[in-house]
Amino acid sequence: MTAAGAPGAGGLRRWLERERVFKWLPFVPVQGLFALLLLPNFLLLVYLSLLSWRITRGAWWNAAFTGLDSFQRALEDSRFLWALARTFAFAAVAVPLELLLVFGLAMLCRRSFRGRRIYTSVFLLPMMIVPAVVGYDLSMLLIDQGPFNQLLSLFAGRTVTVRWLSEYTPAQLAVIGADVWQWTALTFLVFTAGLAGLPEEPIRAARVMGASRWQIFWHIELPLLKPVIAIAVILRSMEALKMFDYPMLLTQAGPGNATETVAVYLWRVGWEFARVSDAAAMSLILLVAVAMYILVAIRVLRRERRRLTEEGAV
Amino acid sequence: MRQRGFPLFPLVRHTLLLAWAAVTLFPIYWMVMTSFKQAAEWVTWPPRWFPHEPTLVNYVKVLTPGTSTFELGRQTLKILKPIGDSLIVSGIGSLIAVLLGSALAYSWARFGTGGRSYPYNILSIRMVPPIVIAVPFVVYFVTLRLLDTYTGLILVYLATSLPYVIWMMLAFVEEVPVELERAARVMGASRWKVLRSVVLPLTASGLVVTFLFVFILNWSELLLAMTLTNTEVSTIPIQLNKFQSANEGRDYGPQAAIGTIATLPVVVLGFLIQKHLLRGFSFGLLRK
Repeated sequence: MTAAGAPGAGGLRRWLERERVFKWLPFVPVQGLFALLLLPNFLLLVYLSLLSWRITRGAWWNAAFTGLDSFQRALEDSRFLWALARTFAFAAVAVPLELLLVFGLAMLCRRSFRGRRIYTSVFLLPMMIVPAVVGYDLSMLLIDQGPFNQLLSLFAGRTVTVRWLSEYTPAQLAVIGADVWQWTALTFLVFTAGLAGLPEEPIRAARVMGASRWQIFWHIELPLLKPVIAIAVILRSMEALKMFDYPMLLTQAGPGNATETVAVYLWRVGWEFARVSDAAAMSLILLVAVAMYILVAIRVLRRERRRLTEEGAV
Repeated sequence: MRQRGFPLFPLVRHTLLLAWAAVTLFPIYWMVMTSFKQAAEWVTWPPRWFPHEPTLVNYVKVLTPGTSTFELGRQTLKILKPIGDSLIVSGIGSLIAVLLGSALAYSWARFGTGGRSYPYNILSIRMVPPIVIAVPFVVYFVTLRLLDTYTGLILVYLATSLPYVIWMMLAFVEEVPVELERAARVMGASRWKVLRSVVLPLTASGLVVTFLFVFILNWSELLLAMTLTNTEVSTIPIQLNKFQSANEGRDYGPQAAIGTIATLPVVVLGFLIQKHLLRGFSFGLLRK
């Protein structure tokens, strides 16, 4: 970027020093990127959804408008609706499970004791592993003659062969299990930080006044933990609704469509079946389905952050 | 502070924590062990918890140059090029994202540039599931001739990393005392001098942490990479996915080797920034 009309290096330096230039300098490329990359993309998404275009049928700009046909097809496509419902259902099972699990673990690790640092380091490991690798890794553990069935047999005292990857419910449990295994780590991180950041005074005051452990937890600690719980829920449900890697590598979305999430199905409609317009319409429906959730999430974040900065100012 | 009235508590605690630690370590242990096993030991009943004849053959197989080889009806995909591609794409994308994003975070924190809602708007873009933009992206990129190129994937990773960078760097920038900057300004330093001599040293560790954080995210990304590349560019997650569908997941040893190779650097980096990992995820709600 050069200063138009500014003579020489001194002029450029003076131009860069102006507050207006200085503060807008990083905004120009970022806004430019979003304007050139995401905006046309979104318009294209809307445009494509109004066609009935497939990759194999000539250029998209020559395709004729068919109005809302692809939306109608999408809403009548039970496989799509099932994938959508399944994605939300997986999130609805996995996220509370992770929260409960982490709540227990974080409480156990709350006060310092010998070995605490080793435990926390181990617990954080899964979140650093590439999700695709997690999917593959579990697919290896869960084969019929795999170590997981061996462990189950050991505990049960007889030979147990659960067909984790080729039966309906076990496969769904496997995918949810992959999510829980990997993302309990992140939730644990959020909770330990939240617990460590709890202010001492109100808790001590309550104890002096004779409050029981349970009362302190229920009336003081839990309300103070609200922002932490909010972060954990928002973050986890956000990621869970995107679930793609685990079904892809762990179960190939099978058996049948038992573990086909909406991301996997849209990918297949767009690429394997080459029905781009249908995929675009489904994308928009998905966008509407998550928009409410995003609005609520952002509102909660804003409120909690404002509260935090106000408290910090006192 | 001691736990009162519950003498068995330490025992119970260790039992429960050890149980979860075992659950956590078991898959990692199994993958690393499998990567050192000969083909005959991949699937046995009962499964072998240690390789009886440890071997490096799986690593040699996947790390030789080329794209793929066939052997006994199995296709072995190589990963030297995907490793390079992953490094290029995630490295450059994350680097530019950190440069732009941190400058933007600073500008917003000090001048409120773009309005109060700006970071939230950016964040809400990031919350949209990537599959929503994947469909038109392909069409758009074909039109621009960016499909299956490094530039295309770098641009996409740049756009998806920026929200994380901005939110992470906001937390670091807000810790820099404004008084210090003002004092420097009063003493005649230019804005750029203040940036270089006051802000940069105080946020340097934050920049490194943020870079590593988004690097890990991009290194792990599968969906967009898979959608926007074909044969020219291929990252590690894509290659692992291709491998998995090529052999119905039956080529356990080499795949475990790829998994171990893909995991190791990230775990090391992750531990380096363990203390700071949270900032990337906390939306500025947890500051310590």
